[in-house]
Amino acid sequence: MKAPDVQTRLRAARGGRLTRGFATTILAVRMMLFDKAKFIGTVLGVVFAVVLANQQLGILFGLLQKNTMLVDNAGADLWIVPPNTTSAAPGQRMSTQLLYQAQQTPGIAHASALVMAGTSIAKPGGGSEAITLIGVDLETMLGGPWNIVAGDRANLRHVDTLFFEDAQRDKFGGINLWSVREVGGYRVRVGGFTWGLQPFGPPYTFASLDTARTLVGMPTDQLNFVLVTLAPGADRAAVIAALRTAIPTADVISREDFHSLIVRNLLKDQLGVSFGTSTSFGLIIGFIIVALSMFSSVIDNLREFGTLKAIGLTNLDLTRMLMVQSVLYAAIGSLIGLGLVGFMAAGISSANLAVIVPHWLVLLTPCVMTGLCMLASLLALRRVRKLEPGMVFR
Amino acid sequence: MSAAVATDPSATLAVRARGVRKVFGTGALAYEALRGVDFDVAQGEFMMLVGPSGSGKTTLLSILGCVLTATAGEVSLFGERIDTRKERDLPLIRRALVGFVFQGHNLIASLSAVDNVRLVLEARGTPRRQSRAEAEELLARVGLADKRWNRPGELSGGQRQRVAIARAVAGAPPLVLADEPTAALDAHAGLEATELLLEVCRERGSTVVVVTHDNRIYHLADRIVHIEDGHIIDAPQETP
Repeated sequence: MKAPDVQTRLRAARGGRLTRGFATTILAVRMMLFDKAKFIGTVLGVVFAVVLANQQLGILFGLLQKNTMLVDNAGADLWIVPPNTTSAAPGQRMSTQLLYQAQQTPGIAHASALVMAGTSIAKPGGGSEAITLIGVDLETMLGGPWNIVAGDRANLRHVDTLFFEDAQRDKFGGINLWSVREVGGYRVRVGGFTWGLQPFGPPYTFASLDTARTLVGMPTDQLNFVLVTLAPGADRAAVIAALRTAIPTADVISREDFHSLIVRNLLKDQLGVSFGTSTSFGLIIGFIIVALSMFSSVIDNLREFGTLKAIGLTNLDLTRMLMVQSVLYAAIGSLIGLGLVGFMAAGISSANLAVIVPHWLVLLTPCVMTGLCMLASLLALRRVRKLEPGMVFR
Repeated sequence: MSAAVATDPSATLAVRARGVRKVFGTGALAYEALRGVDFDVAQGEFMMLVGPSGSGKTTLLSILGCVLTATAGEVSLFGERIDTRKERDLPLIRRALVGFVFQGHNLIASLSAVDNVRLVLEARGTPRRQSRAEAEELLARVGLADKRWNRPGELSGGQRQRVAIARAVAGAPPLVLADEPTAALDAHAGLEATELLLEVCRERGSTVVVVTHDNRIYHLADRIVHIEDGHIIDAPQETP
């Protein structure tokens, strides 16, 4: 009998990693799909986590966007705001002197006043609805309106004309273009409609500076904010420094910093805790479902894993198998979950409630879920690695 | 007591074991399953290792199959010392040299018969196209050409054991170890499966060690070695 060339066989078995890797990958997929109930259960776990986390984050981003939309869409590079301001909302008034001081500062293209105050619109059948009235400089139009769905901005030049929120037409008593209503005790006309401009508080309603001041009883030498645009090529930091020196009684803040300030301020309170908790719960529950499913799948197939070890697969091969399964669970679950989130977002989004799932979140979700599923597979992996191949003879 | 080869003293040994001891557990709970076993198997031999339950035959088979390490003693497969190898090297030796037939067939339930056989070949690095051809050929050899796409759950016990035999001899491993291959089969199917194992291993020149206590298949062995209480207890005997 010719002796086998042991060294050649050992060399051959040492090679072929690619083939073995491919074979174990296919095996991982087949084992995963074989137990359909467990497969569906695990995928549903990932879907649950993806839907809950994205839906909660989508609503959170929607709410944050509602609170920052004025800053984002006002068209200003810099905001001059009352000291300690943390939101773009009606509040402390400032002197128009600040506006003139700002206009004198080098590097500025325009500086416009913005008036912002709460008032109400009377309904024909009685009662009233709260609105947030924004008075803008008609020369620069810094501060709005935007998202106009009916009417022309130029209509605001009429002394008694306002732009209202389209989604509130019925609530305001069925208003249409050129309907006549009463705001703050004055007769006004509807000159146009915007869509979706509803912050946390009452919807935005736009008017000229003079009209707004009249409607809310604000003296002409007062304003709430000064909105500034930079001259082309101006050094933003230098302009901010100059404004801060010229106007020490107010805060000067860039659009981006004001946006961040509002977001930070909202997140540090109950909004962040509430949405953070529900998002975390979604991820934790998904993690637990995936971890338990994968562990129970390994326990159910312990003999098969023992057999694989006995026929010469290494711990690395088996680790790869579980990782392949983790990635697939994450990918399939994320795909289905994000699809559902898309449908839900389209279904529940309205002018009142925006569900915003940004592109980066769509891209981040499969990555987070992959990490989560890999982490969840560690329990199963530990069991597989400790498995003695000799168990197949017992 | 030793069970040295008697058939052909000049033959190169497939298995050589000297003074093999295996102790499970430690301290007061320590249990010595093998107590200094000397054991040789010649290349190409079809040998049966028999003994009562708890005699140490499966432990010895596990050590020969590199799925268990000996506590003491020397073990060589085809002249390659395996007792000195690190544990992480053992999967490589198993892939390269050993085929297994398990008591409960241990096929992968999610794979078809042909994929169960291919898995072993591809674990050894056989290219996919070649592995498929070889697996189909082997299944045809064991009479399962028409069942090659069936999963284990769709096969009878005898058919499953045939697939297990095809898997064990895939890639023509020089050593095939079978643990109670007839245990889950009726008398007829058990005999048929063992005959098939003998035939396909002979064709491929594989050495076979079968652990069994099924005396209905003893007559197929080139040699029967008895083991009891962790000792080889009798001199080798040749079967007609």
